[in-house]
Amino acid sequence: MARRGSDAEASMTQGQSHSGIPLKPVYTPADTAGLDYAVRLGDPGTYPYTRGRRPASAGGGGWIQHELSGEGAARRSNEQFRYLIAHGATGVDVIGDTPTMAWLDPDHPTARHAIGTQGVSVCHLGDYRDLYEGLPLDRITLSHSLPAPFAIAGLYLVARERGVDPAGLRGSTIQVPFYCEDCSYATHMPFALRLRLAADSIEFAAREMPRFHAFLEDTYYISDGGLDAVEEMALGFVEIRYLVRELLRRGVAIDRFAPRIAILVNCRMDVFEEIAKIRATRRIFARMMRDEFGARDPRSLAVNVTSHTSGLTLTAQQPVNNIVRGAVQALALALAGVQAIEISAFDEAFRTPSPEAHLVALRTQQTIQVETGVTKVADPLGGAYYVEALTDEMERRIVELAARIEAKGDPGALCDGGWFRTLFQNAMERHARELREGRLGQVGVNVHRMAEADDTLLREVAERKFEPCRERVDELRELRRARDAERVRATLGELRRVAAAKTGSLMTPLVAAFAAGATMGEITGVMRMGYGVPYDPLGHTEAPV
Amino acid sequence: MRPLRVLIGTLGLDQHEVGAIAVARQLRDAGMEVVYLGRFNLPPAIVKAAVDETVDVIGLSCHSWEYLYYVDELLGLLRERGLDIPVVLGGSVITAADARALEAKGVAATFGPTTVAEEIPEAIRRLGAARAG
Repeated sequence: MARRGSDAEASMTQGQSHSGIPLKPVYTPADTAGLDYAVRLGDPGTYPYTRGRRPASAGGGGWIQHELSGEGAARRSNEQFRYLIAHGATGVDVIGDTPTMAWLDPDHPTARHAIGTQGVSVCHLGDYRDLYEGLPLDRITLSHSLPAPFAIAGLYLVARERGVDPAGLRGSTIQVPFYCEDCSYATHMPFALRLRLAADSIEFAAREMPRFHAFLEDTYYISDGGLDAVEEMALGFVEIRYLVRELLRRGVAIDRFAPRIAILVNCRMDVFEEIAKIRATRRIFARMMRDEFGARDPRSLAVNVTSHTSGLTLTAQQPVNNIVRGAVQALALALAGVQAIEISAFDEAFRTPSPEAHLVALRTQQTIQVETGVTKVADPLGGAYYVEALTDEMERRIVELAARIEAKGDPGALCDGGWFRTLFQNAMERHARELREGRLGQVGVNVHRMAEADDTLLREVAERKFEPCRERVDELRELRRARDAERVRATLGELRRVAAAKTGSLMTPLVAAFAAGATMGEITGVMRMGYGVPYDPLGHTEAPV
Repeated sequence: MRPLRVLIGTLGLDQHEVGAIAVARQLRDAGMEVVYLGRFNLPPAIVKAAVDETVDVIGLSCHSWEYLYYVDELLGLLRERGLDIPVVLGGSVITAADARALEAKGVAATFGPTTVAEEIPEAIRRLGAARAG
């Protein structure tokens, strides 16, 4: 093989996919000779849904176009939503700031310098009123990367206040009971409580908001910790299967909740592997639902796949190159036939998206949709020798790894015992080493570098900072003073009682406490107490009840 | 001579641990002892751990902007207690302009996104040696 340029460049020409699948220089009919179309592919919209969950239609396909938003208080984020919608976004995708994702209030002593800087600060019902202000709740898709029970309670209560029937609400919320403690969303709740909250909130939504995807398996965030595409989906299926079993154990019929399971996948730079991953995921899901769980409703078998392009593949060096990465990954996702796309913006390495970065990301999606024609034909890569061979191999490896993990014992116990934490740490370390040693090439990082003085394009925009939203602390003090203290105390007490009883839905008392003006931090704290762990996991604040 | 002892942790609610873990392993591989403090630390806890564990260098991984505000408090606490333990910061969010401002405040070294990984143990060794000398 001719050596071209640096070691990093040479490494990328070696014959294996990012996750280590050996690749041939070319694929031929021999690689798909055993492929039974009806069994392994099927037309789009038919079992096993490899080629897509929806039937091909004359008008062509498309996807929900949204961009991850969240900055400052809810009012500021609401302005972001309106800006994106005014520029053609067809959905809202909101993420909480670090205190919110840790289920802590902004007035917690550890939160003050992080309020609203990496997402929106939302902790009480009034915040959700501000968040959705003026949005057509019954006509737009609302995707939430927020603590699920609160996203559901907040949306449900605001819709009712505004006279919108919750039964018509569409959108999703991530459920992360398994891996959150080890992957950037630590909640400091015992696994049993996390699992119960996930199952309770899914049951609640299945009853009250039946069009809402309350069971969004977020494999994006675990993958962006450095896992490869096989590990990403194997861990995802371990979690899905565990939650499904828990819901079945409670007596919820599979076809009551399975139609509203969705998966939020990552898309990195090895685009064929990512496309194969998504096609394999649809097939694995359909088989699992039909053969293992006995689902009959076709909607239970055809999983909704939503997606983010990868933040981990974006670089602080030459930030303009991130626009190209987002476009390549989004094109791959469009070719894979996903239901929604979010492009991680070019300033991702520095901050949550600036207005400029938001607009570029949205325009990238629109350009692909409007100008390339890739959505005119369903599953355009179906039947390609390489794509089908890789889809089969991804399926085999994902199923095998998931089975290997489950064979190690109860995944809940593995989770509590730190087994996954070790896996994530090794993956993170592996990713750093691959970059360091040049086995994973990254333009501007380990190949085609540029002197810092010359690396100026878009840098000023990417590096712009803003202050934490510390006025939230005073606002919250005022809220706590003005609310009906007795009602808050009573509802929190009832929630704590139900938590400690370890039976009955937590959602009923949680929604009541949230409606009474209790905050997310207080509500979460009393649930922790019900499970015998401290109200404040970081040991700074006292319980109000 | 005992090996260099380095405290590694993150500040506030910054949950990104990738860099902290990678650097901790790298320093251990380079023969140093790492006191790994993990996530969710405020400056008083960092100073206390640094004293209790008699570390030679404090290394903090920064992937949110929180460090911009915590650094003043941390350096102030160290000065108050008459401690000359060098503080180094590393992370993708540290820009060249941030680095200059931090070093002016008294941060011993910063490692931004363009840092070559091998530089980190080298720089920490130099800081440790300068302090011992």
